[in-house]
Amino acid sequence: MDMNFVTNLILASVRMATPLIFVSLAELYSQRAGLTNIGLEGLATIGSLVGFMVSLLTDSPMLGVLAGMMAGIIVNMIFAYATISLCAEQIVYGMAINIFAPALAAFIYRIYFGSGSSLVQVRLMNTLAATLGITPTNFFSKLLLDQTFMVYFAYALVIFTAIYFNKTKSGLNFKAVGEYPKAAATLGINVIRTKYLASVICGALAGMGGAYLTACYTTTYVDGNIAGRGFIALAAVIFGRWSASGVLLACLFFGFCDALQIRLQVASFGLPYQFFQMIPYVATVVVLALIGMKKAGPKSCGKPYRKEER
Amino acid sequence: MKKVFALVLSLVMVLALAAPAFAADKTYKVAMICDSSISDGGWGAACYNAMIDAAAINGWETAYSDSIDQAAYYDTIVSYCDLGYDLIYAPGNQYTDAVLQAAEEFPEIAFALLNGGANTPEKAVNKNVTSLLPNAQQIGWIAGALAGLMTETGTIAFIGGMELDTTKGKYAGYAEAAAFVGQKAGKTVKTLDIVYSNSFSASDKGIEFAKAMIDQGADVFFGDASAVDSGARQAIDAANQAAGAIKIYDIAQPADILGQNECIICSQVTDNSSLVSLSMQAVMNGTFGGEVIYGTLQNGALSAGRISDLVPAEIQEQYKAYLDEMIAGTFMQ
Amino acid sequence: MHKNRFFSVLVPLISVLLAFLVGCIIMAALKANPGTALKALWKGAFGSTRSVGTTLSRATPLIFTSLCACFAYRCGVFNLGGEGQFLMGSIVCCYVATQSGITGLPGIILCIVAGGIAGGLWAAVPGLLKVYRGQNEMIISIMLNYVATLFMGVIYTNWLREGSVPQTMSVPNEVKLTKLFGLRCTSAFVIAVVIGLMVYYFLFYTSKGFQLRAVGLNMTASEFNGFAVKRYILLSFIVSGVIAGIGGSAELLGTQFRLINGFGAGYGFDGVAMALIAQLHPLAAILVAIFFAALRVGSTTMQAATGVPTSVSEIIQALVIVFTVAGLAMVKLPEFKAFLERLFPARKEA
Repeated sequence: MDMNFVTNLILASVRMATPLIFVSLAELYSQRAGLTNIGLEGLATIGSLVGFMVSLLTDSPMLGVLAGMMAGIIVNMIFAYATISLCAEQIVYGMAINIFAPALAAFIYRIYFGSGSSLVQVRLMNTLAATLGITPTNFFSKLLLDQTFMVYFAYALVIFTAIYFNKTKSGLNFKAVGEYPKAAATLGINVIRTKYLASVICGALAGMGGAYLTACYTTTYVDGNIAGRGFIALAAVIFGRWSASGVLLACLFFGFCDALQIRLQVASFGLPYQFFQMIPYVATVVVLALIGMKKAGPKSCGKPYRKEER
Repeated sequence: MKKVFALVLSLVMVLALAAPAFAADKTYKVAMICDSSISDGGWGAACYNAMIDAAAINGWETAYSDSIDQAAYYDTIVSYCDLGYDLIYAPGNQYTDAVLQAAEEFPEIAFALLNGGANTPEKAVNKNVTSLLPNAQQIGWIAGALAGLMTETGTIAFIGGMELDTTKGKYAGYAEAAAFVGQKAGKTVKTLDIVYSNSFSASDKGIEFAKAMIDQGADVFFGDASAVDSGARQAIDAANQAAGAIKIYDIAQPADILGQNECIICSQVTDNSSLVSLSMQAVMNGTFGGEVIYGTLQNGALSAGRISDLVPAEIQEQYKAYLDEMIAGTFMQ
Repeated sequence: MHKNRFFSVLVPLISVLLAFLVGCIIMAALKANPGTALKALWKGAFGSTRSVGTTLSRATPLIFTSLCACFAYRCGVFNLGGEGQFLMGSIVCCYVATQSGITGLPGIILCIVAGGIAGGLWAAVPGLLKVYRGQNEMIISIMLNYVATLFMGVIYTNWLREGSVPQTMSVPNEVKLTKLFGLRCTSAFVIAVVIGLMVYYFLFYTSKGFQLRAVGLNMTASEFNGFAVKRYILLSFIVSGVIAGIGGSAELLGTQFRLINGFGAGYGFDGVAMALIAQLHPLAAILVAIFFAALRVGSTTMQAATGVPTSVSEIIQALVIVFTVAGLAMVKLPEFKAFLERLFPARKEA
């Protein structure tokens, strides 16, 4: 096991963690406002497809990401209306979104690209190094410079989220909605509006995470390219104990597991690779089993909020 | 609830009665099932085009279902059988069990299994399954000889889709031809252990596999994993771009797609359409059944595609000489 | 109460109609004749005895998972782990069927019982964590679905693999379930219906079933009445897992015969959705499962005959779920009830 193996493994972990960071932050904002949204997989799918189509049409990966974001918001508004205004069961509705959004994406893809059999490829976003005209040679320049704008944005977003939830009044109010919505309402916080705002952020980030895959990662789109990342993101929020920094570490750890799994397959490692892929899910169950209920996330998660009961 | 369903179902029936009846058609119909997408820029696309080309020559109607799960192979085949399709075209060894099961239930329908086993037609009780079997070893040779000539690091790689016998055959042919050709040129060529993506659609897996294999020194790639291959090519192109020169190459298959990515130096071409066309003609002549149609270099079903300018002229000459040896049957003798 | 029952039928009905309406609009936009397309859909699902057999065979696993969801939800807990329990059942069943060498009826019974136990044990994990650690059973059961799917991957790519394709060996002919009337549909369908009837009888005609439903309706009150709430929750989870595990075994012995990639994928969530559309009524769940299976079976015929892609049928299915769940939540809203009071004031007096 040489140095090269280790550095390349770290680079691959960062690469694989980035989409997870977006989608996990989406879930974090949603849960902090008391909405458990398991529809991330669906939101990311539609974000990925729309992002792909727009960057194909405009030849701009950036516009693709923005369009993916919008698509995520629009689909998540269905979730928001049903769970916030109609008080539908959140997890069930998230599941409905997971069935609906991929079906919609498959349909749009089929109709738009028809029965053509030619491979459609898009241009990927440039890395910072490419924009600056630098050729990264060593490990640190590859790690720090050979990344797309979206990667820097993801880490900036983590820092922003950490500060927002812990240091700002608005962030504390936001968290209060997730913990004690009725008390928050008596303090003059508009609970419903906060929940809708959280849904907009959630849809935007989840859609962005999906669009990242086609704007910065693969040049092609295939059905099912999200491949369970939505649920890994859900796991990352729990494993990261509902804090921005924890979520970041969880995503990096899960990204590391995934990168390691690929490399062990190439190196013909004996143990079936599926055991490595199980790590995020098993880790989440173990964390939930170990921590008490009181620490298990925002308290109003999953519970509908009705104004009348105030 | 029962009333609800009675209502819904009767509504559907009323709508159905109001609709015009199906037009009766007498043209022959072929349906293809595929687990990857037909726009994957690789296997799925090539097999689909083979069907379209063969159908155009013979005047058949076509239909397809792509991106289907392994668990849904049988269901999809059966629904085409129910619709009265004359020929079911299943491009891959992995469909064998589903095809045999359906062939037993639909003796009047013909099934063409591309890459089917040599003994699969015997297993079909109704003698209505044909294996279209391109020679996997020769496919491996066509790619391996060029890989052996072109590698500079002495390490080459192969990405497989599923652990199929045909895939193993291609890998073996690829590795032995590369080693043989390399030895003749005075270098040792090592082929990395085969990796399987276990999916024909996960292009992100192709990227990561290729990156990991490039890290191990591989500089010529071949594979049979459809969209996974396109991912690998993307990673190879990126690595070449970072290095500022095209030093890592890819050999494509089974259609000639030179120019799709800049790393492609040549394609191993399988003329599946001639094989499909043969089975269509057998169906029309009523002679279909229970045989293996081989595809080889000798009968023209296998060949090497256009060669890129990245391959120096002298290597092109050597490569063509090896191809001639393969056709003559004297290669590695 | 009467009004509630009225809505519980009306909401799914309207949802189905709306979903089909949207589907027809999509078809028309694709320049296909919606009538022709729907006729093809119907023909594919129920057009011949053979297609009816196919539809019922596709419905069978969905019946099991929706009964699984029904049972747990009647006790007030959500089992979103139906898929994992279904898979664990089929994995253990596959092991017993291929390795034990016991054949014939005893073999079949042994396989199904083993699958049921495996499903029950897999469901016990979220059940225990719910009861003793107070954790969210839904999240845990979702995570366990993925663990089960990956574990099945280990089985068919490694441990029980046979031949070149990543799949397990086929279960022996002697333990395959019998086909009914020579159709694709097997005795698994009969097992599913019988379990549906048993669940129905248990929930509505036994005192234990009454207590279980009471726990589901109001946990606090049940505790006050001295019902062993925790035990009911855990048991309902386990029984629901057993139903899913039997379903996985029946699917393996009746339809698929081997574990392969995509086995059982999505059945767990589908089952929850169907249970909700069926208003948690076990017998209605059977009908809903058949309805969804028909949409799936018919969609291939529809695509082949009219060029309307199968994803239109998937969109229709998803919309039925989206509309029904939202609709059922809506009619429970106080605003909606108040609106109805205003709309039909006479009814109150009557």
